[in-house]
This record gives sequence, C-alpha cells and structure tokens, in this order.
Amino acid sequence: MNGKPENRVEKIIADLLRGRRLKLRGGDAEEKAAIIAAARLAGAHQGPQRMHPTFRKRLGQELDQTAPDSWVTRRTALVAGLGLAAGAAGGVLFGRTGGPETVSASIDPTDGRWTDVGALDEFTEGQGRRVSAGGVGAYVFRTGSKVTAVSSICSHLPCELSWDAADGHLLCPCHPAKFTPGGEPAVRYSLDALSKVHVRVTHLGRVEVLGTA
Amino acid sequence: MTPDRPAGEHQEAEVVELPVARRASDVALDELELVYAFIYARVGNRPDAEDLTQQVAMKAIPRLRQGAPASAIRGYLFATARSVLGAFWSTRLGLSEAELRDDLALATPAPPSPADDRTETVQQILSQLSDNYRRVLELRFLHGYSLKEVAAEMNSTVGAIKVMQLRALRAAGKVRPPE
Repeated sequence: MNGKPENRVEKIIADLLRGRRLKLRGGDAEEKAAIIAAARLAGAHQGPQRMHPTFRKRLGQELDQTAPDSWVTRRTALVAGLGLAAGAAGGVLFGRTGGPETVSASIDPTDGRWTDVGALDEFTEGQGRRVSAGGVGAYVFRTGSKVTAVSSICSHLPCELSWDAADGHLLCPCHPAKFTPGGEPAVRYSLDALSKVHVRVTHLGRVEVLGTA
Repeated sequence: MTPDRPAGEHQEAEVVELPVARRASDVALDELELVYAFIYARVGNRPDAEDLTQQVAMKAIPRLRQGAPASAIRGYLFATARSVLGAFWSTRLGLSEAELRDDLALATPAPPSPADDRTETVQQILSQLSDNYRRVLELRFLHGYSLKEVAAEMNSTVGAIKVMQLRALRAAGKVRPPE
C-alpha cells in the first residue's frame, strides 16, 4: 500500500481504534515490535475486556453441545485427563466471526412489570430523563407523541450514565464514552450500543417503562 | 438439574454424568472469560479476540476431563491460548515463536486481575517514555484522539505526529512490561 512505515502503522492503528481486525503488512523487526505495542495499547485503553454477551452465549451453546458427546459418551477415552498435545481440534469452528458490530439487546426482565414514570407532557422533547422501573434504570426520550428508552448503565463499564443536555449525549463517568439518545456509541473506538428498554405511552398519556417489581 | 434418584440399579448410568459435564462446561466458560481478556489485551480488537478465544475453546474443550478442577482447566486453556496466539502472530507478522518468546512468556496463567491492572501496566510502560512519546500515545490510545486532534493538541503537523507515533511505539515495544 503506502511505502512509508509511519503510514503503514497508522493504518493499522486507525483500524484497531475502530475495533477492526489487525491487518498486518510487511515491515522490519522494529515495525513489527511497534505493531505489537500498538495492539497492546489498543487492548488496554478500556481496561480488561469481557466477552460480549452474544459471543459468550454462543460459546456456551457450543460447549453444551460438545459436552454430552466428548465428556460423557466418550468418557473412557477422556479419562486419560488433560492431554497436552494440542492440535486435533476435532471440533467445528463456529461459523461467524465477530465484526465491530453494535449489538443492541433489549432488557426483558423475567416477570417484567410496566411502571408508570410520569405523564408524557412532563418529558421535554429531545431531552433525556432518568427514570427507574424497579431494578431497571433508563433514560427516556420523547419525540412528539413517541417515546424511546435506553439503559442508564454504560454498555462497557457498569457506571451510571448522565445526560448532557448541552451536548445531547449520555456520558459515562468512568471512561471517555458517550452515547446518542438512541443508545448508539458516539466514540471512535468499538463500543456496544446501550441496551434498549421497553417503553410505551398509554391511552391516558402516561409513560410506562418495562422494569421489575 | 440433578434429580434425586432412588438408590438402586443403574447408578453408574450415563444419565448421572450429564450434570457433571454441564458444570464442567460452565466452569470452562468462566475460565474462557479470562482467556478472552488475556487475548484481547494482546491483539487489541474484538473480532480477533473472539476468533482466537473460539479456537482455544475448540482445541481445549474436547480434551478436558470431566470434573477437572478449575485450576487444571485454566492451566490447559492458557497453554492452548499461548499456542493459538503464537500461531496468530506468526501468521500475521511472520514472526517465529522464538522471536515471540518474551510475549508468550507473559502468557502464564494469570489469576483474575483487578480491573485496573492492565491499564496500570500500560501506564507503567508509558511512564518510561519521553514526554512527547508518552503524550502522543496517551492521546491516541487512551483518549481516542485522531491524528489531527493530536497534532492540534501538540502544536504539530499530522505528518510529524505520524512519525512520532511510530517512534513512540517502537520505544514502547522495547520497554519490558513489569510483571
């Protein structure tokens, strides 16, 4: 691509900061060391990571599928214990590979309960308002006669977001992250969207949020 | 999940084993969280981290013994993670395992670390760099600034910042992370 090492490395950094894969190109040993350092810095800038719930769930399902076959039926073959010879994966790799997606799950509490959080008139157009529905905290946004709501907890660190009316974003106090009223991340690095919270307007003009008892 | 079964015949039937296997898979999943964090901290992006964690799971899980203690599962998962990461860097960068020895040596099974441990390590690496090098990496990686923003912040040009960034990373690559 571009012959200059600073440009090659910059391209890799820009990809990393957008949450994309490492696409490495040739270079001398020092350039390679720089790339490894860049990957480590990118990996550290948000602190230790946990699996995305979607990925963890898929992995769990795969493990459950693997378990009865390899750990139970073929028990005798496995009593040998922790064989250290790697290879022989024998398994089918999951088809999908994760991209820099913004998965927006919704909060669907078991035994969820609709909670009245105020009259529609009390919600200012375009302004976030923090409400609680039992154990579910949410920011509700009104657009005309419609309302939407997102979780009040950051999608990355478990910190309570605040609404910045001047900026028009939800801000995380724990790290430099902010989100649009729709819950989409408004940062340069990969971040999941906020969870959606179910909200509705009743025929009496009351806003209700699906929360817990 | 484990129904109370009347004592009697077929005590050793396979039906007994299933809950044990389930428990083992739950343990493995929690251990894979550590593997994921470990891999992410080295490759710096989610798609690669997920792929590699998958590979670790698929290689290691079929070989785990049912009822194995968490510590043994962790040891084996991290051993597999070392091998998978080695293959990753060697494919992507053309580096041999020998060249990667330092990186892989750090891949010893780490106990669950406090939340800020990794960030602290990075700060320690950055603290050994010159002011300008540290600043450019902090702005770029820790604060997510664009090149332009870094240039504006440091009263420099995009071209000069790009070169400084490369030099700073090379310097960072030479710093031995404290362990």
